[in-house]
Amino acid sequence: MSAAPLPLADVLARGDIWRGDALPGLPENAIASGHAALDAELPGGGWPRGSLSEILVDRCGQGEMSLLLPALASLSRAGGWLALIDPPWQPHAPAWVAAGVAPERLLVIRAGRDAPWCCEQLLASGGFAGVLAWPASGITARTLRRLQVAVEGRPTLACLWRPSAAASQPSPAPLRLVLAGETGGLSVHILKRRGRPAAQPLHLSIPRPGRSSRALVGSSLFPVAARSAALAAVA
Amino acid sequence: MALHFSLLPLEALPLRQSPSALVSRGRVCCVDRAAAEAGVGRGQKLSTALGLAPGLAVFERDAARETAALTSLACWAGRFTPMVSVQAPNALLLEIGGCLRLFGGAEAIVAAVEAGCREQSYSLSWAAAPTPLGALWLARAGQAAIHVDAATMQAALARLSCALPGWSAEIFARLEAFGLPQLGDLRRQPAAGLRRRIGSGPLDDLLRAWGEIPHPQPAFVFPESFRLVIELPARVEHAEALAFAGQRLFSALAGWLQVRQLLVRSCVLQLPHDDHSTSELPLRFAEPAADEARFARLLREHLGRLKLRAPVEALCLQAEEVTARPGASGALFEQAVVGEGLALCLERLQARLGAGAVRVLAGQADHRPECATGWREPDLDLPVSAASPASHPPPRPLWLLPAPQALREERGRPYWQGPLSLQSRAERLESGWWDEGEAGAAGDLRRDYFVARNPQGQWAWIFHDREGWFLHGLFA
Repeated sequence: MSAAPLPLADVLARGDIWRGDALPGLPENAIASGHAALDAELPGGGWPRGSLSEILVDRCGQGEMSLLLPALASLSRAGGWLALIDPPWQPHAPAWVAAGVAPERLLVIRAGRDAPWCCEQLLASGGFAGVLAWPASGITARTLRRLQVAVEGRPTLACLWRPSAAASQPSPAPLRLVLAGETGGLSVHILKRRGRPAAQPLHLSIPRPGRSSRALVGSSLFPVAARSAALAAVA
Repeated sequence: MALHFSLLPLEALPLRQSPSALVSRGRVCCVDRAAAEAGVGRGQKLSTALGLAPGLAVFERDAARETAALTSLACWAGRFTPMVSVQAPNALLLEIGGCLRLFGGAEAIVAAVEAGCREQSYSLSWAAAPTPLGALWLARAGQAAIHVDAATMQAALARLSCALPGWSAEIFARLEAFGLPQLGDLRRQPAAGLRRRIGSGPLDDLLRAWGEIPHPQPAFVFPESFRLVIELPARVEHAEALAFAGQRLFSALAGWLQVRQLLVRSCVLQLPHDDHSTSELPLRFAEPAADEARFARLLREHLGRLKLRAPVEALCLQAEEVTARPGASGALFEQAVVGEGLALCLERLQARLGAGAVRVLAGQADHRPECATGWREPDLDLPVSAASPASHPPPRPLWLLPAPQALREERGRPYWQGPLSLQSRAERLESGWWDEGEAGAAGDLRRDYFVARNPQGQWAWIFHDREGWFLHGLFA
């Protein structure tokens, strides 16, 4: 027993005390995701560089890419190269340009069976600012381990998109998110992250096209009225 | 510095089986080490040689092949010095006096030369001396030493036998009759008397070797455009076996690029088949390069994927696009720049997946959504176009389906994984009358596009045209 009580700050500064309420920082700078609520919940305050992130979605079109778009746009503005490996559909250039991504630095790769090898080469080269991959099949824990080793220490944002069924399989990726769509926007459930586990899913609102045009035009536009007007015009 | 390739006629054929021997006019003239161990020697008749070593691989001597091999070696030697002289039939002279400081000493050059010759599997004997003829004679004698000043070289030359310089047999017989077995003895005799007895040729050679009269060498002219052919001794069926022969070609290319101070951007490897047709393998680099290791890696990747349709009997490398090397070449290749990692990675991906699998987006000005996305080859030097977004751009989906998918209608609404409710006004796109009737073109479109949403929260871009409702894109 020490003679005088220690100040709390000294106790907390000791190396063998683990604080359960703080999220750890990251060695490389994290990329701001554009959503303040998500940044508060991600270790490092944004999308991690130099480690693998897994995003598990069941359905497309719920706003999963729009979640990443602000980060991709900021990487592209800084002059970095982005790579999409085996995207599920073809990218539509005007939309990507409108989001702020430079099309000359957006590489689209059709890898097929060589997708894991391709991923590893892109991550290990260290010349890409962001690598997004949609591996169709053949992703085992061993492949993920190799990808994690390849990206370690490089300033690259690495995102792997997989079906939600993979949530039950173990994975060495330090960050795993499950996205699901809901009426108001997107619900983000952080399955795994560095630091304490996430308590509840986040509800984020994603900018959606219909909503913005409705806000511009005014409340007189109703979906039913629009459809009938269009059908009448066509017929 | 002189490089003497004693087995050049035999080693000009890559991918030989050992033991092997070269035959000219029925007599063996060149053997490799395995055959020599079996007892086959020069001057034997072919039947004797085959009796001594039944598994001997025999090839005909071809002078054109030897000169081609010597030319490719001269190109390879261009990486050490720009002043190379070819001494037919099987020696090269390199002027390294000016390059000693660049390479950090003669030992470094010797080590690099030996390593390079070992890679290309040429057997080499070398010597370095202040005069070219002296170096040549020492190399022929097999005395591998670096003689920095004239005195040590003269001492070494004095011990060489008179048979070495290659004078005619008659002169050598006379010298033997005089009792002058070594060059040092020859040198001690009075010059005037010797000139009368054996002629002035040998004495002039001695003076040149000792460095008393100058001996300018004809310089090897590096060709303006690079094209080199290597013949293979046997037909090759699998592409991987070509990697070694291809490596010799690329070594010569790297030396030629170094001398001409160029970088190569694309080259073509031609493979003539035995039915007189030729396949071509184009090799393209993401940025101009001169690095031999990179060539070798790229070649191995390409050959791993190549299927030969007929056996190949020769290899020909031709450099197509070359650009001038920028001045600061030292710094460019020594630092590990992030940009270089990108270029190498792109090359490797293109080599493995095919050129069309790695592409970059390019916007095209067309109202039709199918045609608004163009594709381009990735180019590191292309500047990024300044983004100027319109003030109120119409909403466009991030993903587009390759072909519009027909949707069924239920109770008056289009149905896609749930009934879709329209969220925006109709956007009519009518365009493309100029493409109508062309095969593979989008044709004339008249569509009303809507943004729609289904109860699961998926946002889609659908359109309605004459034939009904279609799904075209997804707002991811």
